[in-house]
Amino acid sequence: MLKFILRRTLIMIPQLLVLSLIIFLLAKAMPGDAVTSSFMSNPNVTPEQMEKMREKLGLNDSWYVQYGHWVGNAVQGDFGQSFTHKQPVTSLLAGRVGNTLLLSTGILIVTYIIAIPLGIIAGRWTDSWADKLIVTYNYFAFATPLFVFSLLMLFLFSFILGWTPIGGSVDIRIETGSFDYIVSKVKHLILPVMSGALLATFGTIQYLRNDIIDTKLKDFVKTARAKGVPESKVYTRHILRNSLLPIAAFLGYEITGLIAGSIFLEMIFSYPGLGQLFIQSVMGRDFTVVTALVMISGTAAIVGTMLSDIILSIVDPRIRID
Amino acid sequence: MKKQLMLLVGLMLVLSVFLAACTGKENAVGEKEVEKDKEKETKTEEKPEEKPAEGDALVFPLDVANTAAAKEDGELTFGLVSDSPFEGTLSPVFYSGAYDADVMQFFVEDLLATDGDYLITNDGAATYEISDDNKTITLKIADNVNWHDGEPVKASDLLYTYELLGHPDYVGDRYDFMIENVVGMPAYNKGETDKISGINVISDKEIAITYTEATPSLLSGIVTYPTPRHHVGDVTAGELTMEEIVASDKIRVNPIGFGPYKVAKIVPGESVLFERSEDYWRGKPANKTVVLKVVSSATALEALKKGEIDFASVPVDQYENAKKVENVELLAKVDLAYTYIGFNLGQWEEKENVMDPSKKMSNKLVRQAMWHAMDNDTIGKELYHGLRFPATTLIIPVFASFHDGDNPGRGYDAEKAKALLDEAGYKDVDGDGFRENDKGEEFVLNFASMAGGETAEPIAQFYMQNWADVGIKVELLDGRLHEFNSFYDMLKAGESKIDIYQGAWGTGSDPDPSGLYGRTASFNYSHYTSEKNDELLTAGTSEKAFDSDYRKDIYNQWQALMVEDVPVAPTVYRYALTATNKRMVNYSIEAGTPNYNPWMWGVSE
Repeated sequence: MLKFILRRTLIMIPQLLVLSLIIFLLAKAMPGDAVTSSFMSNPNVTPEQMEKMREKLGLNDSWYVQYGHWVGNAVQGDFGQSFTHKQPVTSLLAGRVGNTLLLSTGILIVTYIIAIPLGIIAGRWTDSWADKLIVTYNYFAFATPLFVFSLLMLFLFSFILGWTPIGGSVDIRIETGSFDYIVSKVKHLILPVMSGALLATFGTIQYLRNDIIDTKLKDFVKTARAKGVPESKVYTRHILRNSLLPIAAFLGYEITGLIAGSIFLEMIFSYPGLGQLFIQSVMGRDFTVVTALVMISGTAAIVGTMLSDIILSIVDPRIRID
Repeated sequence: MKKQLMLLVGLMLVLSVFLAACTGKENAVGEKEVEKDKEKETKTEEKPEEKPAEGDALVFPLDVANTAAAKEDGELTFGLVSDSPFEGTLSPVFYSGAYDADVMQFFVEDLLATDGDYLITNDGAATYEISDDNKTITLKIADNVNWHDGEPVKASDLLYTYELLGHPDYVGDRYDFMIENVVGMPAYNKGETDKISGINVISDKEIAITYTEATPSLLSGIVTYPTPRHHVGDVTAGELTMEEIVASDKIRVNPIGFGPYKVAKIVPGESVLFERSEDYWRGKPANKTVVLKVVSSATALEALKKGEIDFASVPVDQYENAKKVENVELLAKVDLAYTYIGFNLGQWEEKENVMDPSKKMSNKLVRQAMWHAMDNDTIGKELYHGLRFPATTLIIPVFASFHDGDNPGRGYDAEKAKALLDEAGYKDVDGDGFRENDKGEEFVLNFASMAGGETAEPIAQFYMQNWADVGIKVELLDGRLHEFNSFYDMLKAGESKIDIYQGAWGTGSDPDPSGLYGRTASFNYSHYTSEKNDELLTAGTSEKAFDSDYRKDIYNQWQALMVEDVPVAPTVYRYALTATNKRMVNYSIEAGTPNYNPWMWGVSE
């Protein structure tokens, strides 16, 4: 096991290097740079001024020099300065990552809370009216675009019913740290989390349902039934344990999604997180932020895959590689 | 190796799809931000009588109708309409986003106030005097002007602003002509000296700034926001570095100013809570607290309707809906911006624009015809609900004193366009419905236009149809619209494939157009030059131009020259909409009026 983890970690290094090179080159290949996108329509700035700024920012060096600098600093945890935000990228990200993690962890938890029972019900009582209802909901969740659904939720719960706030992450009038503050945070979180979670369930429900149906017909289940194991126990002990395997494995990938954040949710609910930052930086050609963000989610993807493999090999001894 | 290459290609494909999917929205925002930025730098004012007499042109109020008394300890909520968080660089020296300017309006102030023409007045926190040779301005700060922490605002705080802007390590776009024009600034900027010789701190409250060149731009372009040296720390004394100051909490978490409200709390990127500054020099600000919060453009109107926010600027596409909302009043003024069609007439060589007579658009008559062929009135009415209206000259009506209201520009007149083309000798020789050029060769123009928003494509198509109607064949460059950054990259590189293009400018508070149309202006994308143009532009900023009548005459001549030579054809001017909740009082968007100042804005019961 240890050997496996070690091996995977070692492979990660060249993977990350290639990833960083690709990201860097792609970012450079985009038309325009931070200086153009900020000042292109500002007639007060002279071209000399813009040229000087490029020189200061090192945008005039050849790409390998820039890449060398960037990698050198990045391994020390310094991703450079954000041009748009005028502060170190690391502190910029640190300020946003909390919101994003809160939102996506919430979504992840609620997704499982909804999806696992529904998946089990649908799989256990196949073709019952409950199953049909769940499958219908699942198709709906699969087909509905997130931004349409979020707007509908917002319209219904904030505008018409007035139960939840329109946007933001907290009411600024409430004193930081007090009990009301936490309540306010939760209140602001409910709607985006529900919007995200209600649509994110389809994968889990579908996997779980199919797997239960498959496992139901396996020989070991038949054996258990033949031995006289009560039906409820057959499900909890024998079927569920096996059917949850792919879900557990999927968890690793889900973690990747946690970091990347949800651009649509953040935009619609004015929730400042990494997703919004990413879009803003791409359009402002704020390369340092873009590369750092892609690098982070790329790393998360690689680590997530590894986690998935590890989880899978823990819960399923059959696929252990040694 | 091959595998890696495949991976790279694959990734690029995936990314390009993703980026392409984003561009539409991005550009719209990008463009808006830039324009908004300009608008922020210099508030707009509109004189209703300056509007072209279109008969059914829209008329908007500039002041709220509610005249009730303001509530004693009320709370005012400002909705910052944005789909992304504000950046939070809350210093006038360092900020770059327009949203940050929206935040700062409540706690930061210039020392000198400005009037309806954006010219400095003596009604602000400081008064000024200009020397006889028009080169030196002396500012005297009033005694009761204090920072939010109680320290008095000193002359050296204003000096500090200049020391930061001109600092060799300064990265930002505010080191412009009026800063560089200060005596000794270029040397300070190169790091040759650590004193700016042209700025003289006379006493704690008095400061004199001397310029190398006397120009009327001084009256609208002088920088007068001080920076609290004691609060943010002194870079010149080596207390901290430029990078540290920009990233510091003194700017981002607990910034101070001397405006009517002080910052009590900031939730980064999302909302700001302001409290009344009891010590404000003008008097007691209307509200006890002001809350600023970011609302997405999709929800802004609903938030207004529900009373969650009291005022916000509303996107044009929500105008029709906004009109219907019971408790909302709409104010509007003409924005400091215009859209135009540019004609590529040459290229940028070395350090100046050079006209090239072999360009397709070199014939003046053809350019005039193309302007006449465009039906801008329909564009404004159909695509912008009347919030954009045909433009006449290149100095926008906002500059009431300099915009030539008597110059009609070139209105929509297809017959005249055809006549001009006939006169130029551009006739349909081969009978395909499109004209050939005066030598009988095929005449097809490449049109570059920016993507962004839902209207970009229909507008481009509409103009192309307009031109086809008079017999000019125009095709979209590469058959599509171009993304904001690559569009400007192409223009800047002087892409010779481009014959005509559509662009937009946000103009500053200075009516001087030489930054956009001068011989040495890099933003002069049409590359138009002429002796007459040089002469007029120089005269417009000469010392003589301190006399407004003289300057007005010069600029009238210049506007006429532009209508005659048509290096670019202005298409539309635009309104900027502000929606207010009807409970809001003492609020005006007309620059120079008393209710334009944030300290007056209040809410009634």
